[in-house]
Parts: sequence; structure tokens; C-alpha cells
Amino acid sequence: MPLRARDNPFAVQRVLAIRYRLAGVTWEEMLERLAALRFRAAIVGPHGHGKTTLLEDLGERLGGRGFRVRTATLRRGERRLGPGREAALFREPDPADLLLVDGAEQLDRMAWWRLRRRSRAAAGLIVTAHRPGLLPTLYECATTPELLAGIVADLGDTVEEGSEELFARHGGDLRQALRELYDRRAGLTSPSAARRGSPSPPGR
Amino acid sequence: MNDWIRVETRDGSTAFLPGETVEGTVAWHFDAPATSVELRLLWYTEGKGDQDVGVVETVPFSNPGVDEIRPFHVRLPQGPFSFSGKLISLAWALEAVAEPGARAERLALTVSPTRREILLPSGGAVAGAG
Repeated sequence: MPLRARDNPFAVQRVLAIRYRLAGVTWEEMLERLAALRFRAAIVGPHGHGKTTLLEDLGERLGGRGFRVRTATLRRGERRLGPGREAALFREPDPADLLLVDGAEQLDRMAWWRLRRRSRAAAGLIVTAHRPGLLPTLYECATTPELLAGIVADLGDTVEEGSEELFARHGGDLRQALRELYDRRAGLTSPSAARRGSPSPPGR
Repeated sequence: MNDWIRVETRDGSTAFLPGETVEGTVAWHFDAPATSVELRLLWYTEGKGDQDVGVVETVPFSNPGVDEIRPFHVRLPQGPFSFSGKLISLAWALEAVAEPGARAERLALTVSPTRREILLPSGGAVAGAG
């Protein structure tokens, strides 16, 4: 019988249960740095390097410190906040509001300018972006083969060819590396086929 | 802190037919009264892609005390059925949630015409070439 999707060790609900692992800094130091930046800062890193997870974990800690955390997520190509996200961030504003915007680099210049201006009434604005420059950088997300191996181990599995090769094949994008492992466990592709670059079949 | 919340069906059943009515109780104990307690009937997906969730019905329990057992009954819709394939599984659940603190308890259900999870055939679209 094929492995059910929910039993796959790399199913997204299992991967999402693994939280961000800070490197070279403690949470206390991170929060001190954020306070020194007056809670206006960016988490920076390429795709699949854990920016969203870190933003979520940061928001949880800040919520525990009395901030009212308000979040919005921009997907690829979404250049404006739009009514739904504007409401999520700015409806019934409170000075304790801490605005978390995931994928802020998607906004066009005018939308980014408007967000910054409207955020002045809030306690803070923390964004994720692929490159530095939007706001002072709080933390640069980095990945390593060892981090990938650790996450795979936490999911109760191993990488057949070693984590270095898998890591390199996906350019350090852990999300894609874990998706490849999902496909392998589901029988959608094999390690050798993945190394040759065979795509996974489409469909559900 | 000894807070807990629990959801149970009347005879412990967790497999149902589409359209069937599910009866049971939500019980809880909180050291301090909750501002709200509610039961949600929902489906959710698990697997490779982003997770989807659909809340089909919400049953609020008014004026929740610190120690209570409240009955509920909810009617299941005609679908979607509980199923699993290689890329996605869909499951049903009853979820009791108390605020503040987002205290929650989830009871997984199976909803299908056979009362069993439907397993999708693996099909031919498997494995890379070679």
C-alpha cells in the first residue's frame, strides 16, 4: 500500500512543526537588537532559508511581551497590500501594534512607502525580504548541510546520499530539499532520478 | 496550571457517513474562566503542499464556567470525504477551542460512504524515468 500523504515524514504539517534554530545569537540578544532598532527591522535571506518561520517565532515571543502582533503575507507578484491585508494590519489601530509583513519586497515602491508611513503609529514594523535594504537588517537567515541533516533527523529520517549533495542540488533552499525527500518517500521519484534532475510528476 | 479541554463523541465513534449527525460532549476545567469556548467542525489537508482548512460549523458555548460538560450535535455535510493519496490527505475533525490562550483539543474523524478513509490508487504516474 502506498504511503499516505499524512504519514509521509516530510509532510508539510510535520515540517512546519520544526521551529527556527538561531545561529550565533540567542533569542534574548535578538530581542535586544530589535529593541535597539526601535522594532523596525528586516529578516533577510533567500527562498527556503527560514525567514517566515523565524518571523512567526519572533512574533510569538513579542506577543508574550505585550505587543499586539498583526501579520500580513505577500505572495510572489503581489505588489500591493490590498483591503484584506490592510485591514489585518491597520483596522482599529493600537499603539501596541507590532506589524509583521512577510515578503515585503513584493510591494512596489508606492505601496512600500505607504506601509512605512502608516506603520509610524504602530510600535514596530518587522518584515522579511530576500535582500537587505528595506529596513535595518535584524538577522540574515543562512542554511547549512548540517542544518538540513538536523531537520531531517528530527523528522525521523535520513538522506540517502548525505545532506551535502542534497543541500547543494537545491542551492541551500531547505524547503525544496525537503520537498524532494517527500517525493522520494511517496515513491514519486528516486534518489538517482533526483540527482539526474528528473522532475516529479504533476497532479495529486 | 491544570487547564484541560476535551471533546468526545457520544459512544466514542470517530467514523461517520456523510450527512450523519454527530453527538457528543465538550468538557473542560480552567483555573480561570474562559471568555469563550466553542466547538468547530472542520476539514483539513495534510501532505506536500500548503495546508488548507475549512471550518464547516461552529458551536459556541455561552457563559463558560470553570468546570463544565456541554452537549453538542452537529450535522456532517455530504463531503468532502476523508481520503489519502500520495500527495494529499483530507481529514475531518472536531476541535474545541477556549480563549484566551488558544487552548484546544482536536478529535479526528473519518467521513466517507464506507466510514473508512478512501485510499486513492497509486496510478501510473510514479517514479522518474530509467
